[in-house]
Amino acid sequence: MKKCVRFIAALGLLALAAAGAWAEPSADIVAAAKKEGKVVVYSITSRIAPAAAAFEKKYGIKVEAYNLKDGELIEKVTREVGGNIAGADFVISQDSGRVYGQLLSTGYLVNYVPESMKNVIPKQYQDPLVFQFINKVFIFNSEKTQKPVIKNVWEVTEPKWKGLVQFKDPKLEGVNQNFLTMLTSPEWSAKLDKAYQDLYGKKLALTTKNAGYEWIKRFFQNGLLLGNSDTTISENVGIKGQPATTMGLFVYSKTRYDAKKNLALTPMTEIVPFSGFVYPAFLHLTKNAKNKNAAKLFIEYLLTAEGFAPWGKDVGSYSSNPNIPVDKDDRPMSFWEPRLVNEDPAFLFENRAEVEEFVNTISSN
Amino acid sequence: MKSINRFRTFIKKPHNIILVVLVAALAYLTLFPLLSLIRDTFVVHPSEIMSVKQSKVGDITLFHWRKVFLDGERSLKLFYQPLWNTVKVSLYSSFIAIVLGGAVAWLVTRTNIHFKKFVSVVFIFPYIMPSWTLAMAWLNFFRNRLVGGAPGLFTAITGIATPNWFAYGIFPTSVVLGLHYSPFAYILIGGILRNMDSNLEEAAMILKASRAKIIARINLPIIMPAILSTFLLVFSSSMSAFAVPAFLGTPVRFQVLTTQLYRTLNGLNPGYGYIMAVVMIFIGTGILAANQWFVGKRKSFTTITGKSSNSSTVNLRKFRKPISVMLIVLVAAIAILPLVTFAIESFIMAPGDYSAKNFTTQFWLGPGSEDVGGGEPGVLRNKYLYLALWNSIRLSVIVALFAGTIGGLAGYAIVRGRGTKLAAFVNNLAFFPYLLPSMAFGAIYLSMFSKPNLIIPSLYGSFALLVLVGAVKYLPFASRSGINAMLQLSGEIEEAGLIMGIPWWKRMARIIFPIQKASFLSGYLLPFISCMRELALFVLLVTPANRVITTLLFQYNEKGWNQWANAINLLIVAIVLIFNTVINKITGASIDKGIGT
Repeated sequence: MKKCVRFIAALGLLALAAAGAWAEPSADIVAAAKKEGKVVVYSITSRIAPAAAAFEKKYGIKVEAYNLKDGELIEKVTREVGGNIAGADFVISQDSGRVYGQLLSTGYLVNYVPESMKNVIPKQYQDPLVFQFINKVFIFNSEKTQKPVIKNVWEVTEPKWKGLVQFKDPKLEGVNQNFLTMLTSPEWSAKLDKAYQDLYGKKLALTTKNAGYEWIKRFFQNGLLLGNSDTTISENVGIKGQPATTMGLFVYSKTRYDAKKNLALTPMTEIVPFSGFVYPAFLHLTKNAKNKNAAKLFIEYLLTAEGFAPWGKDVGSYSSNPNIPVDKDDRPMSFWEPRLVNEDPAFLFENRAEVEEFVNTISSN
Repeated sequence: MKSINRFRTFIKKPHNIILVVLVAALAYLTLFPLLSLIRDTFVVHPSEIMSVKQSKVGDITLFHWRKVFLDGERSLKLFYQPLWNTVKVSLYSSFIAIVLGGAVAWLVTRTNIHFKKFVSVVFIFPYIMPSWTLAMAWLNFFRNRLVGGAPGLFTAITGIATPNWFAYGIFPTSVVLGLHYSPFAYILIGGILRNMDSNLEEAAMILKASRAKIIARINLPIIMPAILSTFLLVFSSSMSAFAVPAFLGTPVRFQVLTTQLYRTLNGLNPGYGYIMAVVMIFIGTGILAANQWFVGKRKSFTTITGKSSNSSTVNLRKFRKPISVMLIVLVAAIAILPLVTFAIESFIMAPGDYSAKNFTTQFWLGPGSEDVGGGEPGVLRNKYLYLALWNSIRLSVIVALFAGTIGGLAGYAIVRGRGTKLAAFVNNLAFFPYLLPSMAFGAIYLSMFSKPNLIIPSLYGSFALLVLVGAVKYLPFASRSGINAMLQLSGEIEEAGLIMGIPWWKRMARIIFPIQKASFLSGYLLPFISCMRELALFVLLVTPANRVITTLLFQYNEKGWNQWANAINLLIVAIVLIFNTVINKITGASIDKGIGT
């Protein structure tokens, strides 16, 4: 009887798996994971906490979830895996240049794509396995006007916006540094060059290497306000009753606080040549994972709609699993991709240090 | 034969044995890490393969040195300007701490001012709070339109917009650090002032010396060692403070060495960071040397002798009331007001809206709501909070026991062995950890103890590693208070016991410790408090299972989840105060008793 039930259940699961909308982890992994009984995860996103609680409830496997900043996470994993010290079983990381150069090329992180996901997740997101994409876009205080306040990124270098634009200090987060680095690439500096001509009808006079550097320099020197956190920036930009209209380049998902915190935040999506940037967060096992199966199970869980729920119910998070729909107020990755600056790990690896130094030189008093 | 005899007499003295043991232990725990730090300035680290082109991890390189010192404008912005800012901040905050702490100490110990009890309890609050939370309080009060958002409370109430220099950058950084460390001055200077025999002043008075002359020729020279100790402590602490300049300096892009250190250690260029750490240690050592040269020039002042002494207080007469009131207002403003704002801020939902309908207990007791923060539950329902809190308390108590005991013994041995090279060496060694910037110290211990090391097995991820780094780092507090206590104590007191044939441990436990209980106990309490609110030292060493409360607090602050952060901060302050009160009730000593009223 029991067997029969199991068989029917398995059949049902198979059907679901075939449909691609749903997939259950194999019974072997579940059993092995339950035997381990525990899993440790380091994550760059704080919403791992509710996901962990839900996972604990579902499987009875204890989760230690540790929310770290991107650089901190890379540093810790390097030490722990490098020294063969027990730490995380799997990690959710970001900052692709460093993840590739420091953690993947050394073999410290191991790629693992769950069987059930191999035909679901697009091939280009499978190695390394992408957990989700996160975007940071130009968002303005929309208390006085709903209309986008700029059309071209060069406008933020004009006196009109002096001291009114906010950005998280790139010293504190690798992905912000990556965005700046990408702007100096041939592709983006050409686009910036063209955007300048389109806006002002004249050629850009360079004082630096290329249009990318030039924009960064003018952006920073126009009284750009560096903040410590995207949450704080979203409050400082969005709070109502400010004399001037302010804006910032920060995590789009922060607009989810609008109602509760009484903020007025509206994103701009049609800025030339970019409206912000987007970066992947990766899912990896560590080389010396102690609870491999529990980690595999959790990874698989995070790639399902159920596991992604803490992120999926808001704007600004895009699962690599195309079957998980984006929030109803948001638009899919296919909308954002052409509008945002993407990370190119190889370019970042080669050029990030140089740009970081440049930014440090122009950004301190 | 002669040398054997000499050796026998040498080891017969307990203080010599203590000195020898300390030399071995401290050399291993402080000098060895220093060598490893210096080595780290010459190698390619894993994260540096992006910047040091065509290199492998572990290669020897001069890249870091060249970049930090010799790369034109880049070095200027990376190193020289931050260095200059660091020196300025450290000097200003030392000045503020000494003047403020010293003045309050004098008022409390040597005058007939009112509310002594209250002042001496409350004045140390700023030190209990993690330093950056005072910076957050500063921003709550004085922020202006520069950063957007709602203006601070000060502007909201008075309508006066604060200028940028007042709200951000070097001024508030120096003031906040000065306030945070003024309890050092209060405890160290106050401890001396309290024990100062007024016979000295009376003798001067009989000789018709003027009040000014008495202060200049008697009071100041006696408290000079304490002032210099304070200067050294505050300067070094301010120099290695990271979070305060990070919060107050970022809006105006004010850079100090530690903010660069933090960026480089956690980023692409830890090698730069290690060099900056070496520079900071170099500066600290320079000040230590100057300090010693100064103290060494003259003899110590023994103020507690076997003879009777008495201390009288200055009668402030008609100034008694106004000064008392001013002092109360000042102390309330710097120590209580921030706590009140933390309490209020931990209960409001939308920032800047203080109406009743915006109040919520969500951040204390709520189950967590997905549209605020990442669905994080209120602090009292958070299992990670309890774990971290328990870790912090456990860690602080153990660290205090180690540091306090070893430091007290070190103080005894150093003073008894005074004049010998060995004692001078131990004195310097015991202070040396203080000169190592916390963050770099943590980083060195991390790389040193991630693998088995001589007799010590790999400690990474263990609680023992946190205890070790804490005990070594805070030893200077304990050894300083031990030395101060012993310097005041005339040798004749112990000699009396010696003649009676009382064994060494009994002399320590029954004579020396009881007489200078207050000073010795402050050698336990300072490490305890410091440990409770330490961040930079542990941030690289903690693992999920042994994370401490401050790492959690800083994370919330950094993410801008201020309600949780404020709630946790209040918990920390409450716990330290509870400990202080309990210790006070049991032993009669307390942090403020270090100075006595």
